[in-house]
Amino acid sequence: MKSDTMSFATIGRFWFPVLALVIPLAIIVVVTGQFGGLSIQRTVIEMLISIVIVVGLYVFVGNSGIISFGHATFMAIAAYASAWQTCCEMLKPITMSGLPPFLRDQSIPLLPSAVVSVLLAGGAAFLTGLVIMRLTGLAASISTLAVLFILNVVYSNWDSVTMGSASIVGLPTYVTAWLALGCAVVAIVVAYLYQVSAFGLAIRATREDEVAAAASGISLYWSRLIAFTLSGFMVGLGGVLQAHYLGTVSINSFFLSFTFLALAMLIVGGMGSLAGAVVGVVVITAMVDIFRRLEGGISIGGEQWSLPAGTQELIIAAFMLLILVFRKDGIMAGREMTLPEQEHREKGLING
Amino acid sequence: MSRPQKQRLEARGVAVAFGGIRALSGVDLEIWRGEVLGLIGPNGAGKTTMVNVLSGFQRPTSGSISLDGIDVSRLTARKIAQAGVGRSFQAARLFRAMTVEQNLSVAAIGSGLSRREARERALDILRWMGLERKADHRCDSLSYGDERRVSIARALALQPSFALLDEPASGMNDAECEALMEVISELPARFGCGVLLIEHNMKVIMGVCQRIHVLDGGQSLAEGSPQDIQKNPAVRRAYLGEKATDSTLAI
Repeated sequence: MKSDTMSFATIGRFWFPVLALVIPLAIIVVVTGQFGGLSIQRTVIEMLISIVIVVGLYVFVGNSGIISFGHATFMAIAAYASAWQTCCEMLKPITMSGLPPFLRDQSIPLLPSAVVSVLLAGGAAFLTGLVIMRLTGLAASISTLAVLFILNVVYSNWDSVTMGSASIVGLPTYVTAWLALGCAVVAIVVAYLYQVSAFGLAIRATREDEVAAAASGISLYWSRLIAFTLSGFMVGLGGVLQAHYLGTVSINSFFLSFTFLALAMLIVGGMGSLAGAVVGVVVITAMVDIFRRLEGGISIGGEQWSLPAGTQELIIAAFMLLILVFRKDGIMAGREMTLPEQEHREKGLING
Repeated sequence: MSRPQKQRLEARGVAVAFGGIRALSGVDLEIWRGEVLGLIGPNGAGKTTMVNVLSGFQRPTSGSISLDGIDVSRLTARKIAQAGVGRSFQAARLFRAMTVEQNLSVAAIGSGLSRREARERALDILRWMGLERKADHRCDSLSYGDERRVSIARALALQPSFALLDEPASGMNDAECEALMEVISELPARFGCGVLLIEHNMKVIMGVCQRIHVLDGGQSLAEGSPQDIQKNPAVRRAYLGEKATDSTLAI
């Protein structure tokens, strides 16, 4: 009996960092679903999709310590793949005539098409990683930016397949708050299990000290390649969700301004922990939403009042700057949500 | 020499040149399993370079390294670590944002264990070194002495057949040194490994080493038992200048 309760406590402690993130998210979905207006509900869905994406980004960036500017590439690959499979059966032969016949002339059911798209994103991440994970530090970061540019140029100009820089519209929109929540929970659980696994521990060691990690028998290349691939799958899922939430896909929505926003979320929350990734999304989404409303105009005391367009981007950039200056490890400073007693133990005592 | 060839880490004619500077020239060194070999010499003698060569972090300009009779000169540092050569660093180089247990587990995972087995081995070693209370502390919260002990513990978590310890006692007080000496002397029996110990603290060197190898200016100066080395006139000159007295090297 005692051992049962012991193991229950152990399991509770193990899952606490996940539950402390998932439960508040579920509460947000329930509360806004019951009492929130339509625009709040939309913001919540966007936030949950962003969590899938930023947690996916965190799996590589947070654990390896290498900033990636290239993850929008894998989102775009998944989003377009899903669009090709599910979108606008009537128009496809005309607007995307370059597609192979099995895609051009039929639609593929939603679930298999989503799975295929996510697999494609992960596969693309694996192939990219095979080449660029040999690089370290800044060179690796810059090479991910190069990957983003390559994809952007190819997709922008491959008119017969991607419709160039025009938007593909008419994707089935099946993403609800509950589906988005489910995917966010899956992303959080996967990221957590990965980071406490042997692979996760190994790559976090390379982040802390490459030399000492090598002396401990850890392969920098393989541990980074695994993280990069897993991360590719996860942002791919985010790409599919976004495509089927908005109903449109456009290559320019997977480029620099998006990359900046996703990284800002990760950096503001703190890229050293999973909690940081999730908290960053929530904080930045809230800020974006508030300032977007202010830009749109509100009435105070009967007088219409609005912020100039672009304020929102400016404020986010300034906020990120403040975080970098005054709290460079982000809001969570590399820590997970822990129970009070755990926190006490982890802090330790300088001389104890 | 009746001991079998299989059980040693051996450097033959190792030379390392950084540009025009010769850090090591033609050094022969062997460490047997089950012994503690001290590597001493004045600053700049090439001790750390030797450890870097033996652990694969520095490729020798000429010469070879063999582990249990197999040439490992071309292997990367990671492969040599996996083959059973663990090392610590002069600056502890811990994974600072990770816990003590995780630091050890990384090395255990590097040697091929699963996460669960790695944790067991890590806790085993921490218990043995009296550090189990620190298992869940983050390494950036440790005292200096604990940092150094954890860095040794991490090298051991690889379950190495040879452990190369680079100045483990530097900055430790007398009591910490005593405890460290006890740990190092027990390593061969407990882990079945050979130990190469770089140390400036002569009390530690004389207290735990069966053999001592002296480097000076990148060359081997002498090798022998602690008593031989203490009496060796060339060693005294290198270390202390011409005016060496009997008491300086003696403990």
